[in-house]
Amino acid sequence: MTVLPQGSEISRRRLLQFGAAAGFLLGTGSLAGCAGPTGLPGPSTLTLALNRSLVSLDNKLNQFDAAVTVQRAVRQGLTAIGPETKPVLVLAERFEMTGPTEWTVTLREGIRYSDNSPVQVEDVATALKMYQQVQGSFVAGFFPEFPDVVPVDDRTFRMVSKKPIPILDSLMSMILITPAAQNKPEELQEGVGTGPYVVTRFNRGAGTYSLERNKNYWGPAPQVDNVEVRFLPEESSRVIALRSGEVDVIDSITPDSREQLAGLPGVELQEASSLRLNQIFFNFRKPAGHPLADPRVRQALSMAIDGEALVRDVLVDSVTQAEGVTPSSLTGYHKTGEYVYDPEKAKATLEELGVKDLTLKIIWETGEFASDTSVMEALVEMFGKIGVKAELQQFEPGGNILAWRQGKQGDWDLLGNGYPSPTGLAITMLQGMYSGTPEKEATRDTYQGYVIPEVTAKIQAASAEADPARRTELLNDAQQAVWDTWPCAWAFVPKSVLAHRERVSGINLAPTNSYPLVDVRLEA
Amino acid sequence: MTNYILKRLGQGLLTVFLTVSTVFILIRMAPGDPAVSYAGPLASNEQLAAVREQFGLDKPVLEQYWIFLQQLFTGNLGQSYSFQAPAMQVVAERMPYTLTLATAAILLTAVVAIPLGVWMSRRPDTGKELGVNVLTIAGQSMPDFWTGIMLLTGFAVLIPIFPASGFATWGGLVLPTITIAILQIALISRMVRREMTTNLAAPFLTVARSRGVRSSALTWRYAMGNSAIPVFTALGTRFAAMLNGVVVVEVVFAWPGVGSLIVRALETRDYPLIQATVLLTALLAVGVQLLIDLAYPLLDPRVRLGKAATA
Amino acid sequence: MSLDTATPAPGGAGETVRQPSPSAVTKADIARAGATRRRNAAKWKLIVGTICTLLVIIPIILAQVLPLPDANFQDLGARRLPPLTDGHLFGTDQLGRDLLSRVLHGGQVSLTIGLLAVLVSGAIGIILGAAAGYYGGWVDTIVSRVLEAQMSLPLLMMLLLVVALFGPSIPVITFVIAIAQWPEVARLTRSMVLVEREKPYVSAARILGLHKIQILIQHIIPNVIKQATLVVLLLLAQAVLLESALSFLGAGPQRPFATWGRIISDGQDYITTSWWMVTLPGLVIVLMVVGVNLLGDGLRDRPRRKKKGA
Repeated sequence: MTVLPQGSEISRRRLLQFGAAAGFLLGTGSLAGCAGPTGLPGPSTLTLALNRSLVSLDNKLNQFDAAVTVQRAVRQGLTAIGPETKPVLVLAERFEMTGPTEWTVTLREGIRYSDNSPVQVEDVATALKMYQQVQGSFVAGFFPEFPDVVPVDDRTFRMVSKKPIPILDSLMSMILITPAAQNKPEELQEGVGTGPYVVTRFNRGAGTYSLERNKNYWGPAPQVDNVEVRFLPEESSRVIALRSGEVDVIDSITPDSREQLAGLPGVELQEASSLRLNQIFFNFRKPAGHPLADPRVRQALSMAIDGEALVRDVLVDSVTQAEGVTPSSLTGYHKTGEYVYDPEKAKATLEELGVKDLTLKIIWETGEFASDTSVMEALVEMFGKIGVKAELQQFEPGGNILAWRQGKQGDWDLLGNGYPSPTGLAITMLQGMYSGTPEKEATRDTYQGYVIPEVTAKIQAASAEADPARRTELLNDAQQAVWDTWPCAWAFVPKSVLAHRERVSGINLAPTNSYPLVDVRLEA
Repeated sequence: MTNYILKRLGQGLLTVFLTVSTVFILIRMAPGDPAVSYAGPLASNEQLAAVREQFGLDKPVLEQYWIFLQQLFTGNLGQSYSFQAPAMQVVAERMPYTLTLATAAILLTAVVAIPLGVWMSRRPDTGKELGVNVLTIAGQSMPDFWTGIMLLTGFAVLIPIFPASGFATWGGLVLPTITIAILQIALISRMVRREMTTNLAAPFLTVARSRGVRSSALTWRYAMGNSAIPVFTALGTRFAAMLNGVVVVEVVFAWPGVGSLIVRALETRDYPLIQATVLLTALLAVGVQLLIDLAYPLLDPRVRLGKAATA
Repeated sequence: MSLDTATPAPGGAGETVRQPSPSAVTKADIARAGATRRRNAAKWKLIVGTICTLLVIIPIILAQVLPLPDANFQDLGARRLPPLTDGHLFGTDQLGRDLLSRVLHGGQVSLTIGLLAVLVSGAIGIILGAAAGYYGGWVDTIVSRVLEAQMSLPLLMMLLLVVALFGPSIPVITFVIAIAQWPEVARLTRSMVLVEREKPYVSAARILGLHKIQILIQHIIPNVIKQATLVVLLLLAQAVLLESALSFLGAGPQRPFATWGRIISDGQDYITTSWWMVTLPGLVIVLMVVGVNLLGDGLRDRPRRKKKGA
């Protein structure tokens, strides 16, 4: 340190300057840019904490479970998936199949948007067009073709397609109706809808939305004045926020959180089945001689998995073992068999089939389903007990698991994956997963390489059948055919679990993992 | 003086430019595909290709870089894929929250660490000081996410006096601020102690002491006056570093700042958002550094900026 | 630090008036003197630091030998047992695995990463720093610019990016931490070499006709390496912290490698029901890092010249 002959005057001045400089810097540099707290909601406000950020209140591109409740409180479709996973009427008062390739729809009388303008047939036609034009749309994938809208009168129109679409009433539940003039081929950020609530304020960056009662709502008025939507990505934050009463409702909670919240004073739990099937799916791109190409080997491996223990101990009864190839909550589900735990038989079968030194690579993406890592780590142990080595490769969200799944990056044997059927129909899931064709496989667009022509033919027959009884028969047949190929080492149906404070009532959680906000009530 | 500022400004901007360019290359080399996050897992390869085309990701990387450079000069880095809004706007909506947290943390640090460091330097290696010294060592030895979870459990769950997450009331600021400040107080107070011990032992202080200057004046005016610059620099540098996102603490406390935003942007491979976050935070950090440099002559009249740079 | 620059005992200006006669300095004065206290404090820090570090490191090294259940052995019937039940000193985790065993085996991974990382960063830092300091000119310019640029990068974010880029494996994470840490070593080495290079022994070596590289390697580096390694030791503590932060954010080595950060982040979901799953692994990290930091502090403050009988 340099020695300086300095007196106290200079030091004092320097000290003053130090203070001044620090104050100046902090004052101008940062305080000006700081934010104040967002403020606490009033007692008449319902606060929801979602685990996904609501980017928009539209679903043209993507639809996360978490978003549906809020989405449908602002915008509505002609139909919705009701409690029994059957379509129920919302904006339509009639939605009927009037010919093999024709449906006739009548709009409810006197329905108006929040800006008091009436809902018109043209709005439906425009909405269909806009959904069609969005690149990479989640919704478009479920439509075999988009039907044409042919107006009949002010409120009635026909929807005409080239081939029969027997499930159009379910499909239309995903199309949200917006005034034609304001609809665009992208997710709408603002704009008006027919729902019981309107958006008053939002901050996309922070994922917060403020909703207020829609004064022009066509149905019975909602009970709660204001709804605040918050985004809390960490499960533990959401649980703590609910415990302390900072938020009123958290949904899509994991088994662990459920265990933590069960029995806490002031907290109530609700569960419903779901439209999702989570699977440990085999890689169907194995060459002919590979052990996994043999359904008997696949079946033997499934016997190594103690499904009951997984359900009871790892997933704490928050799931049910699958007894078919689709969740039992879906319309058109058929029970085809059960997963049996029998390690001795598994070992013996593998020996008999001459399978030795099998090593399995299990891949999955973090957060694919609740308690994913625990399930995977448990699987490694279970396979180990029948002498099959298993290694894990976990992908972080945003990583390249897709390239792996399509077999472009590396080889794998089992994939932890979930598959939803947002239409509530078994056929949707069968078509998405099991109706692979060699043409689709050429672009790697099949579900993990599952191409079995007989199965595909059966599914296609079922999907085009207009007669309901015959369709059910074909559907059951198709599901049995899929089961017999042992596509999954194990599969389970998660339950949707929601937790709310005691002061909230009227939450009717549906298998779609959403609930109508219009029915929710708050005690003061 | 003006020349100096211009030179530093130029250097700073060059650093920012190199930073965003590095990030541009890194994220495009990284595996993962923005189109997959955008269109969801059920999209077909054809749909994914269409999305890539829409984002301009099908173009050669050099051409993408050229477009990026043009965007950089207009200050508009394009639409964020996941927020479907201008990326700069999304970051700008988040930035104030990080600023608030960083400011609160640095103020708390300054208020606690400077007196603490001075206190330690006045009785070095005594029993009491040794105890405090070990505490500061513990402070810099705790992983911040662990400290955060512990504070969260203690003061939001077991004794619920503070909110656990978000920023609904001023109370929400308390736990994240303390979490950050624990580490910073440990580092800064140890630094103040080191500087002050050297200064208190310097000959000019012995001279002043022999002239009968009071002990408190010796400590605060003489020794602290000479420690002001390094301490101020350290505080400023720490503050600038926090602007880059106090990632871990923001994740633990669900703080709506840029730190948790960047984690999410990485997860969805939201290129424009990553770029915008890096650009804005780097600009701010460089700006703060520059301000610190400019404050030197205010703190110490001996410093002449143009010469200090070459010395 | 020699005696005459040591701080006079504080507490008032009166005490600072020194008596000319040496006989007035009693043994009690010496015991109270700054230098003595400093030496004692350094000794104390060294001892406590060693104890803390060994308390963590020895069990980690012996993890395979100790009578513990296998770190991956699951007992789904014995999930989340609190500490001290059924012979589980630290309790069990969500899959009924022994937490102590997991912490120790995880420590092996975390420590290996930390050690390798500081070795790499130490090597890079010393070589580049020494080169920059000794050669000056364009070598110095490049190294200094790179150092400066790296200081202004958003560090943790860049690390996350790089880990995402090359996949989370032990070599990648080691390398990433090394890259994050080399500037500190390089800067210190550079400033020390700048001083050393002006010393007479270097001129002597130069006059003797030794090659520049030979002077640097044989004469200068041995003179600065001691202090540089001290910094490297402190960096080990930081490396362990950094590794756990990366694992916490999901960028840790592939499962089933349990690292400290991952054990804590896995346990975070159970924080309200099973406190031990987060608290205990965290305490182990803190104990070890405090130990290493105390050791580093003690080594730094230790009197340089050892005087007999002093």
